[in-house]
Amino acid sequence: MLALLFILFAGMAVGCALSMVAQRNPLYSAISLIGVFISLACLYVTLAAPFIAAVQVIVYAGAIMVLVVFVIMLLNVEEEERQPVRLRTLVPIAVALAAVFFAETAFIIFFVQTSPATPTGSVSDVGLTSSIGTGLFTTYLLPFEITSILLLMAVVGAMTLARRGGLIGANVGVVPGYQSFAREVLDPMATTDLTQVEARTSREAEELLGVSDSPHGHDEG
Amino acid sequence: MVPQLSWYLALSAVLFTTGVVGVMIKRNVISMFMCIELMLNAVNLTFVAFSSFFRDVTGQLFVFIVMTVAAAEAAVGLGIIISIFRNRESLDVDDASTLKL
Repeated sequence: MLALLFILFAGMAVGCALSMVAQRNPLYSAISLIGVFISLACLYVTLAAPFIAAVQVIVYAGAIMVLVVFVIMLLNVEEEERQPVRLRTLVPIAVALAAVFFAETAFIIFFVQTSPATPTGSVSDVGLTSSIGTGLFTTYLLPFEITSILLLMAVVGAMTLARRGGLIGANVGVVPGYQSFAREVLDPMATTDLTQVEARTSREAEELLGVSDSPHGHDEG
Repeated sequence: MVPQLSWYLALSAVLFTTGVVGVMIKRNVISMFMCIELMLNAVNLTFVAFSSFFRDVTGQLFVFIVMTVAAAEAAVGLGIIISIFRNRESLDVDDASTLKL
């Protein structure tokens, strides 16, 4: 039964991985990668690691892939166009190196196969959340704290990299960006006047409309 | 028939190799990024398999930390990708051959 599940999910994982590499559209690649993540989560469940399986689905298939798909759609990535293969002379060398790599892998797997059997049978509590939490907050407390500092650095680094130009200046009003304001938004007394003005800030729009010094002019906050 | 440890290691090797090949043949930065994520996941599978077969929780703690590093890498890496696209109007790695942004 477990072997059947392993074959099913391993096949799904390998198929999705190959499809991810073969796709030319990055969005289809991302969807295939989500398939790989879900299959691996199912494999973690068969390995009696339910906490890691849940974290895999939440963090990888949830958070990271949402970020990747968001960036793909934000940048409007097109399909890669086919380009002529350069360095054609290196193809036989690549095939030879791949054969060497495959032989090494088969060698290692053969010796793992003939190694003494690992103890199995009794139900363990290794993969449960409580044992992971105990390990994380006792023996491995220092790596856990270093991880939190790493996340803080990632937040600062991502903000620094992704912002364009300087911070918003001090004289900019409430709403950045060029937009149109209805007159009644700025001056509550002029409800019937639907004239719109275009301005960069609500303060500028108030000056254009001449309502900035009116006694009924409202302040933000 | 119960899955052996070597099955999981073989699956992990196949996934890792697929990721390596993807990094080498892809020209799009985002596709290369996703192939790196695939390699990280292959290593995670190895960790969890050893942890489960040797009854030791350490491997799963490593997986937890690897996932945190992957999340941080995703945030910073995608920020770099957006920055490159803004400056070069392209996601092709051959266009970004100098270290200047």
